[in-house]
Amino acid sequence: MKTCLKMKKSSIFLCMLPGLLWYSFIILIPVILAGYYGFFDWSGGAKKTFVGLQNFIEVMKDPVFRKSLFNNIYLTVVCLIGQIGIAFILAFLLSGRHIKLKGFHRVMSYFPAVLSAVVVGFIWSLIYDYNYGLLNSFLTFIGMGDKVQAWLNNDKLVLPLVAIPLIWQYIGYYMIIIMSALASVDSEIFEMAEIDGASGWKKAVYITLPLIKNTLIVCVTLCIAGNMKIFDLIYSLTNGGPGYSSSVMAMYAYKTSFLSFKMGYGSAMSIVILIVSLILVGGSRSLLLRFTGGEEI
Amino acid sequence: MKKENKGSLLHWIPNALLMVFSFTCIFPAIWLFYSSLKEKAEFYHSPIALPQHPSFQHYIDILTKSNFITWLGNSIRNSGLALFFILLFGFIIGYFLSRYRFRGRNMLYGYFLLGMLVPVHALMVPMYVLFTKAGLTDNWFTLVLPYTALGLPISVFLVESYVKSMPIEVEEAAAIDGSSRYRTIFSIILPMCVPILVTIGIIQFFYVWNEFTFSLILIDSEKWMTVPVGITLFKGQFSTDFPKMMTAMLLAIFPAMLLYFIFSKQIIKGMVAGAVKG
Repeated sequence: MKTCLKMKKSSIFLCMLPGLLWYSFIILIPVILAGYYGFFDWSGGAKKTFVGLQNFIEVMKDPVFRKSLFNNIYLTVVCLIGQIGIAFILAFLLSGRHIKLKGFHRVMSYFPAVLSAVVVGFIWSLIYDYNYGLLNSFLTFIGMGDKVQAWLNNDKLVLPLVAIPLIWQYIGYYMIIIMSALASVDSEIFEMAEIDGASGWKKAVYITLPLIKNTLIVCVTLCIAGNMKIFDLIYSLTNGGPGYSSSVMAMYAYKTSFLSFKMGYGSAMSIVILIVSLILVGGSRSLLLRFTGGEEI
Repeated sequence: MKKENKGSLLHWIPNALLMVFSFTCIFPAIWLFYSSLKEKAEFYHSPIALPQHPSFQHYIDILTKSNFITWLGNSIRNSGLALFFILLFGFIIGYFLSRYRFRGRNMLYGYFLLGMLVPVHALMVPMYVLFTKAGLTDNWFTLVLPYTALGLPISVFLVESYVKSMPIEVEEAAAIDGSSRYRTIFSIILPMCVPILVTIGIIQFFYVWNEFTFSLILIDSEKWMTVPVGITLFKGQFSTDFPKMMTAMLLAIFPAMLLYFIFSKQIIKGMVAGAVKG
């Protein structure tokens, strides 16, 4: 850097200070506070009792928290397969030579991703509705009226039913990301493969997949991080019910803190959620990088 | 002849598959729209049939008899203010992190990186406690605080890598011509950064517009609510009037939908670029 661009360190720092303070106030201070309040039995009022690590131990043992964590992981796995899998297939199809209306498909498939998750949850709760839902109307229409049921009250089916809108909303998002990676692959590679006699799916698995590996790793990381923070959709679709069968970590933290007013316990839970998410996101990423030999991006 | 038939069938299948998928993506919005024009009884008679006597009565009811317009105003104000601060701070911090190598620079960079890894829902309870203690809940500016802070990391990163790719000679030339550092930054570099700022703006607009959690816990009174939380109130009120609820939902997604279909190309490009780089 030339001397003409030199600036005093103090003035650089002063310029960055407002943003830095604002950011710290919202991100850093709450985490510190949560760590602190986690050690207390506290319901939000003046009375606080120090209980040591008890809250943290209880969170780990709490069957509802475990169930919620399990649900987060279940949804993550289903979404990894559903979102990225279907997105890959669609992206591959869409990049074919004989596809018409490519632009139209791009715009349509991405559309759900810009919708508010609350509204998506509402729409799907109407689809699943017992009396007037599209699903039951459709089943009656095709003569399978005996399958009609109150879908979201079935605690065995509720989780897959929650996963469907979740997958649906983001297929287009991952599809577009994968397509942008496909577009950057040299088309000569595909032409050569075709000359060598590679068929459609062989091309996809043996040539396309390895070439866009790094993008897929990004997608997987995004998908895991995204599924750790599901809340809005569950809130409007099932509210965690029936019972706790479709509860997720954020939902349970919300209910304990704001409906049962166990603030100390909720704070401890926040810290556990933070750590669990960091481990899952960071762990899966480094595992993937090691496994595939990909580069750090 | 035989071969050609097989070929056209092979081309037909992927086209059909994609068409079905595209249709399922847009159908809910279409369903919301035509159902919103129906009467309650008509909807309950057949949820899927097209309206026989379309009427805009539900729209008039919601826009005049509920707080929807207020919520819309709040959502617009929050988005506007949050975007302004995200872009301003993001630009300044991103610029300095990119151009200057000072002690603690990498630590600061890592500090913002960490912010992207923190799952927002882990902050839900502690932020509520902090805001209550500081008396910041339930006010017109309340939600601008978390939205700005949460949008900063991605903004800082995108600006940082963008400025890095810009030739420093421009700034040197400006300095030689007598432009002060601040003037160069704001009247030369800032305009050059417009493309990346637009990308950031797009990503953050949809985030802020659709944000639900903080809006739910930090706002109590209806007059400061945003659209996503406001419409959840309708769920209780209109639980027996589906078409009305569907009207509310359509109104709620309408602004984002309109923007999306006008600027879909830029929006898709911007959001994907942000996702991949972030």
